[in-house]
Amino acid sequence: MNYPVWDIPFLGNGLIVAIIAIIHILISHLAIGGGAFLFVAELWSNRQSNGGKIREWLHDYATYFLVYTTVFGAVTGVGIWFAIQLANAEATSLLIHQFVFAWATEWVMFLAELTILYLYYYGWRKNSRSIQTFLAGAYFVISWFSLFIINGILTFMLTPGSWSLAKPDIFAGFFNPGFLPSLLIRSLFMFLLGGLFSLIIASRVSEDDFREKIINFSVKWVIPAAIFIPFLLLWYWSTLPENTVTLVKEGIRGIGGGRLEAITRYFWLAITSGVLIVIGTAIVAIRPKVVSIAGMIGLFMIAQFGVMGAEFFREMARKPYVIYDVLYSNSLWKQNSLNTDYMKTPYLEKAAWEPGIEPLSREHGEWLFRLQCASCHTRNGYRSIVSRTENWSGEFGYRWFLTMHESGVMPPFQGDDYDRAALSAYLVSLNGGFITADEILKKVEPEQSPADTLSLGEMSSGEKQP
Amino acid sequence: MTYYSILPDAESRLHDHSKLFGKVSRYILRRYPVWPMIDHLANKVVPVHKHSVWYNIGGIALFFFSVQIITGVLLMIYYRPGLPWDSIQRIVMEVPFGNMIRSIHHWSANLMVFTLFVHMFSTFFMKAYRRPREFTWLVGAVLMGMTLIFGFSGYLLPWDDLSFFATRVGMSEIEKAPLIGMWLADIVRGGSDVTIDTIGRFYVLHVMVLPLLTLAAIGVHLFFIQVQGVSEPDSFASLPESRKRYRKYFTEFIFAEIPVWLFLGVLLVALSAAFPRELMPEADPFSSAPEGIKPEWYFLAQYQLLKFFPGKLEMVGLILLLLLPLGILVVPFIDRAIPANSRGRLVNRIGIIALLGLIVYTLWGWLS
Repeated sequence: MNYPVWDIPFLGNGLIVAIIAIIHILISHLAIGGGAFLFVAELWSNRQSNGGKIREWLHDYATYFLVYTTVFGAVTGVGIWFAIQLANAEATSLLIHQFVFAWATEWVMFLAELTILYLYYYGWRKNSRSIQTFLAGAYFVISWFSLFIINGILTFMLTPGSWSLAKPDIFAGFFNPGFLPSLLIRSLFMFLLGGLFSLIIASRVSEDDFREKIINFSVKWVIPAAIFIPFLLLWYWSTLPENTVTLVKEGIRGIGGGRLEAITRYFWLAITSGVLIVIGTAIVAIRPKVVSIAGMIGLFMIAQFGVMGAEFFREMARKPYVIYDVLYSNSLWKQNSLNTDYMKTPYLEKAAWEPGIEPLSREHGEWLFRLQCASCHTRNGYRSIVSRTENWSGEFGYRWFLTMHESGVMPPFQGDDYDRAALSAYLVSLNGGFITADEILKKVEPEQSPADTLSLGEMSSGEKQP
Repeated sequence: MTYYSILPDAESRLHDHSKLFGKVSRYILRRYPVWPMIDHLANKVVPVHKHSVWYNIGGIALFFFSVQIITGVLLMIYYRPGLPWDSIQRIVMEVPFGNMIRSIHHWSANLMVFTLFVHMFSTFFMKAYRRPREFTWLVGAVLMGMTLIFGFSGYLLPWDDLSFFATRVGMSEIEKAPLIGMWLADIVRGGSDVTIDTIGRFYVLHVMVLPLLTLAAIGVHLFFIQVQGVSEPDSFASLPESRKRYRKYFTEFIFAEIPVWLFLGVLLVALSAAFPRELMPEADPFSSAPEGIKPEWYFLAQYQLLKFFPGKLEMVGLILLLLLPLGILVVPFIDRAIPANSRGRLVNRIGIIALLGLIVYTLWGWLS
């Protein structure tokens, strides 16, 4: 409520962040795994009789790798920063204030890895092989360290551990319970991506025996992930909040039994993707000579869908928080939610950017929707509020807001009775219904007609922050 | 009973006696003398050229059909034609992974129809229907028609508002067909309106009659392809033998295609995760139809076309619609009648007009 609202029709700001992030995460992990691949392949080529030929092929790999990771990686990376600060300025502010040095270090790392990658690529014909190997190794180590830092911040959002607003122990927040399993899973996944990307480049090789040799080398990069990620997932699972685990288990039984069955669907998408990548790679290992470029792009795209499943899961696992147990998705601090007086205060009195609307009007309800709901729901698109409230009556919504947080996936409602009536009337109107907030209040509490207790303009006259 | 003797050619190419695979192969071949068939399949090749990608589309359609069979059988465990909406609601809300399986069935059906359209047009543009493959084309066209009936019959089964009224609209179009329209509609519906009796008919059609017929047609289609081999486009056929490259169908071609199938499998899960199939309120025959009700996307072009023939002209539109499938069936025979010097260009133009017409009318129907 301290910031303006980024109200994106149909898609919603959360989905905008998700779309950019899903693309970026695949690229950023490949950017590290591909670095490891370049380094190991440099060493490997030194020991092969046809090392020169392998390095020529490696140059092909490096060309596609550089273009894909730097161009698309940079665009989506900046896109994430742009999107998250607009989508949830409160959470971004908290993360920056808590991890400012970590983030500054990460930016330095990012600059260093880009510089080294360009030195490596453009020094291909000029540098000695030992320098090239060193540069590839340095690129990998530095880029992995940037993952190390980002991983600490990302896992903090789901499992902040003993960190709290009252006692903001940055070390405890960074090395939180989910940090290590997540770091290991991501590390193995990026090796896997380095191998899958190599399979695409290798499928373009026309000489059968050489293609087979490169493919045999590339498929080995999937093996560590295939063996260890299942165990690491169990470890990661054990660090998840109890509410998240319950949500996933309940979601198996469709929309009736589950409160947020989408989390389960995305969880299974991630698991299915992982299993099918392993099967696909095994088939490639059995018949390395018959790979097709379409098939290899297909395998790589499975990884993209795997990221989609994992990222949606990670985002939904925090529900109803954006930083677990600290800050709700709609920028309500948990510590404030425990203060009854704060929660019952007319909501728009606390909204810094509210333009001064007429109480109980449709605009009143719309502003409440924007400030309390639009961080997760759109009116008629992604997570549509219209479809979720199509059978609502004004009175039902008015009452439901009082208990919606008990489902475990919604934040508590902020505001007084007039706010509840205004929002309920607005949601009913989105479905084509006609009831005013005033009528709702008369129906639920006829003895307390708002006309008796509230004068127009009263609600928006509270002090505002500049 | 005596065993069959193993042919010398087979004996020389089988694995050694001491190895498990060699033992199993001989065990089977002594009982079933199918070596010539195996030999034929083992030597089957696929031409490698710049249009090779279109050869994968038929396999992709078959992949989606396999998914339909598997998910369809799983849905049948809980589906009750006597309580259609309730049983689907149970699948969606109570059965573990029921909602996911149903959504995969829905998306796979749509992608199967889409893939078959692509397969049919790619076959058309590559002239793969020409002699001696006329009957492969005919069986393929019948398969396309059966798939559309699959979609129409399956659409009603949830018995929700949308499926009920869409089916009612579809049946009213059948009623208008000349001479037999009313009779046919009554037979299909089991009466003068869409009722629970219609569910029984559509259910039997969807889970029994059509799968058996489709499996048989797929078998014939594949048999023709195995016997005649894969067609070669003109640009490839005219190459000197030394420049022609082939790939073995079994193991090489199939193995190269499996990662694509795996990707499509994940695509189905992703679509089902992001856009699960909704279940509308239970059908109420006495209520008014939902606003803007339309048929599924693969019937939209026909639906839009019929709008150009209002009132008494509707019969003309229907006859035109009946002529379209007939036109598809006779493609190989018309093609042969066109003078050879203008055949390629003319056929391509007809194909492009048909494709553009399908796309434009479908989009038009969707947007209108």
